[in-house]
Order: sequence, then structure tokens, then C-alpha cells
Amino acid sequence: MTSNHRATKAAVEQGISPEDHARAILNILEDFSEDKGRVEQTQHAVFNILEDFSQEKSRLEKIQRATLNLLEDFDAEGSKMQQMQRAVFNILEDSSVEKGRLELTQRATLNLLEDFDAEGSKMQHVHHAVFNMLEDFSQEKARLEETQRATLNLLGDFDAERSKAEEVSDELRESVVQIHAAKEAAEASNRELEAFSYSVSHDLRAPVRHVMGFSEILTKEYGAALPPDAQHHLQRIQQGARRMGQLVDDLLSLARLGRQGLRLEKASLNRLVEEVISELMPDTSGRQLQWKVGDLPAVECDGSLVKQVFQNLLSNALKFTRSRPRAVIEVGCMDQAGTPVVFVRDNGVGFNMKYADKLFGVFQRLHRAEDFEGTGVGLATVQRIIQKHGGRIWPEAALDKGATFYFTLGASEKTELKTKAAMAGDKP
Amino acid sequence: MTTRQVEILLVEDNPDDVELTLHALRKEKLANSIHVARDGEEALEFLFCNGNHSNRSFENPPRLVLLDLKLPKVDGMEVLKRLKADARTKAIPVVILTSSKEERDLINGYGLGANSYIQKPVDFEQFRDTIKNVGLYWLVINQLPVVNGVAQAASTGNQ
Repeated sequence: MTSNHRATKAAVEQGISPEDHARAILNILEDFSEDKGRVEQTQHAVFNILEDFSQEKSRLEKIQRATLNLLEDFDAEGSKMQQMQRAVFNILEDSSVEKGRLELTQRATLNLLEDFDAEGSKMQHVHHAVFNMLEDFSQEKARLEETQRATLNLLGDFDAERSKAEEVSDELRESVVQIHAAKEAAEASNRELEAFSYSVSHDLRAPVRHVMGFSEILTKEYGAALPPDAQHHLQRIQQGARRMGQLVDDLLSLARLGRQGLRLEKASLNRLVEEVISELMPDTSGRQLQWKVGDLPAVECDGSLVKQVFQNLLSNALKFTRSRPRAVIEVGCMDQAGTPVVFVRDNGVGFNMKYADKLFGVFQRLHRAEDFEGTGVGLATVQRIIQKHGGRIWPEAALDKGATFYFTLGASEKTELKTKAAMAGDKP
Repeated sequence: MTTRQVEILLVEDNPDDVELTLHALRKEKLANSIHVARDGEEALEFLFCNGNHSNRSFENPPRLVLLDLKLPKVDGMEVLKRLKADARTKAIPVVILTSSKEERDLINGYGLGANSYIQKPVDFEQFRDTIKNVGLYWLVINQLPVVNGVAQAASTGNQ
């Protein structure tokens, strides 16, 4: 009973008017309807709770079933577990055997570890060494990198140079081809010349010897029986043959000069001159002759060739002073700007200087054969020898006033001399 | 062929040279026992006692060979080479008698064992003197091993 209800009842009992009473009852009814709403709410709430309970219950039943299932499973597991337990026991038993073995292994392992320890210190050394090496390597690497950079720069430069070089090498290649062709031509003509002079040497002299030989036999063995004319003709045959022989020999020695290299040695020119003079002595018998030989240097030269120079010049001097009642032949040396100049001077018939350029040509003669014999090869040979030595020769003469031949050997420049000699040797 | 010993084998192809050489040798009374071979092949047959000279014997060698260089078939250098390479013939003196005095002929000649090298002089008088001197030296002055002791001479004589 609400407070309104109770108030109304109390009011009625205390003699309250019916209007008040009606209002009181209306209040009570109002209160009741309010209460009724509250009860209904509560009833709803209870119903909700009950519903919740029933849901909960079904969940719980599910859980219960699941739990029962689990328990069943556990049961099954339990038997498995027992089996496993047994198995584990067995294993443990085995393990104890194993354990003994393991202990052995452990001891061995410990020993090994000890060894490893010893090894370890060694390894440390090795480590240090390796570290050092690695350090070195890293230094080396830096250096290599520098080198690589430098190389790359160089390659760059090369590339630039190469394109230039390619242009040049094209030209060069062409020149080389030309040089090769020229060289081959020169070698071919040299070979031909050699074959020619070898053949001349063997074959050309032979018929000359035969002419000489048979005409001499005729003269010696039948000369007395021949009329004077026939004897004279025989003599002319012999002279011709002798001259032919001389020409062949002179030409051969001139040709040989071209192919022959210089054999350089220090030679005393005084000694060479003395040798030549003593060889010429037989030709001077009965003549009034004065040799004047001054101090001559010792020079680097081919002694046998320079001796040929003196042989030619001195025998020429002898020849062209033949008409002099008293011949004077002088050999000396003077200094010309540091270069020794050797000279051979005579007081012979001399020659006109306007023919001087013909003097050194092969077969060129300034005198008639009846006056002075000769082949015209001697001075050509002399000039060839002197040129081979890198020197030069020049005359000074006047008709009927003697002649002087000056020459240098250029021996102070040995290398140049050799080059020139080689070049001279290449000329056909 | 007589069994008389040949003193000189002249190896020369040119008939003029043969005639002049024989003339010079006759003058020196050396021409009695000369055999002339006109080419290298014949010279080798004579020296090695075969071919046309198979009736010859190694015990009867010539005492001197005068050898020209330019020869038909087998040249003088080849004859010299084979002669000096064989123990049976290497003791026989060989004088190269030729027209040339080419340096390479001299070098090769002596290199192969020639005993002497002479250039035939153009002047016949000189040639005659040369032949005389060569004959005198090799046949009279020079001592050769006993005639039938060639093999012995070869092993002791010229090495």
C-alpha cells in the first residue's frame, strides 16, 4: 500500500468529505496504476533474466558435453600416456647406458677441447698473421686502385694518341712498303753483282791466261825460228793479254771493294808506307830517287785497304817522275782544323787542273798509254777506299810541276764511318 | 791402266789449262805420272776406286791432287769435302789451283781441309814457276806416309 492510499483511508476514517475521499481514491488508483507499471517492468526484467538463464543453461550444457568429451579423450590419452611412460622408462634405461657412453664421449670431447685450446693459441697467431695480411691487402688494394686510375687515364691518353697514330701509321706503312721494295731491289742487284764478279773472277781471267801461256810457249820454244815480224806480233799479243789480265784484276778489286766491309783497327800509317816502299823497291833500280817520309798518325782504319791507297799513290808518283833526273817523293801529314790530312807529293810531270774531275773516274786517263802505262782504275779505287772510310781526296797539280794528292780518313768519327761504309757497300 | 803409281791427279775441265799445266809439268820432268780427271765425278771415281776406276786400289793413292774449283757435275769444293771426310783418302795432299782468289773460295777451301790454295798467275812464266814449286814441295820436300799405309796415315797424319 502506497502512502497515497494510506492517506486516503486515514482521511475517510477521520470523517473526511466524499469529494476529498473521491480525490483520495483517484490518487490511490493513480498510485496503483503507477505501481502496476513498475511491477510489469519488474516482470519483464524477470522474464528477461529467465530467458538469459535458459540461454546460459544451454551453453552450460554444451560445455558440459564438451567437457565430458574431453574427459573421454583424456581417458584415451591416459592409456597412451601410460604406454609413453613405459616407453620413456625404457628410453631412460637405455639413456643410462648411453650416459656412460656419453661420459666417455664427453671426456674425449674435453680432450679435444683442450687440444682446441692449444690449437686456439696457434689460431690466434694465424689470425694475427691473417689480419696483417688483410691489412696489407687493403693497402695493396688502395695502391691497385691508384694504379687502376692511372691506367685508365693512360688508356684515355692512348685512345687519343691511337687515333693520331693510326693516321701516321698509314703513311708509315706505305713508306715501309716502299723501303722494303727498294731494299729488295738493292739486295737483288748486289747478288747479281756478286755473281757477276765471281764469274768474272773465275772465267774471264782464264782465256787471258791461255793467250798469254801459248804465246809465251811460242816465243820461248820457237822464237828463234820465227822471222822478226812474227816475233813482234807475238810480243804485241802478249802485251795485249797482259793488259787485259791487269784490267780484269783491277776491275775485280774495285768491284770487291763495294761488297767488302771495313775491318777497322788502329794502324800506323808510317808502317803501311814503309811496307809499300819496300815492295816498290824492285821498280826503282837504277833511278835517282829520294823518299821523304814525315811523321804520320796511327789511325783507326782498314789497314789492308789504306795500304792499297798508298800502293796506288806511290806507284803513280814513281811512274810520273820517271822522266825526272832526280825524283823526289814526299809523304807527310798536316793538321787542318783538327783533322789530320795526309799528302803524297811528287816532282813529276803533273797535270792540268782543268782535267782534275776526270782523275777519279774508272778508265779515265790523263796520259797517253805510250807515255805512261796504266788501266785507269787505280785512282778510282783510291777514291772508293777513302770514301768508304768517310774521308775525301783532292789533288793539287800543274802541268810539268808535279802533283800532290791530299786525303783524310775521317776516322775520328767511327760510327759515322761505319754507317757510310755500310751505305757505300749497298750501292751497286 | 798401268799399275805404276800416279804421282799427280790433275782435276781440270778446261783443255787449255790442262795443256798449259801439262806443258809446265813436263818442263819440270814431273809429267810422267799424271792422271787428268775432266770433272768432279771422274775425280771421285779415281780417288775412291769405283766406277771407271774400280780396278784401282786405296793402297795406291796419288801423291798430290791439283784441284780446280769450277768443274762440271761435281764441283771442286764437293770433291775436296768428300776426300777429306773419308779416312781412306784424307791424308792425300790437295792443292787448290784456280783462277779466282775470291775470299769465300779461300775460306771454304781451307775450311774443308785443303792443304794449299794457289791462284793461277796470268803470266805463264809465273805459272810455270808456281807449278814447279808446287811439284817440288809436295813430291820431293814434303814427307808423305808410306804408300801402302794410307789407313795408318789417315789416323795419324792429318788431324
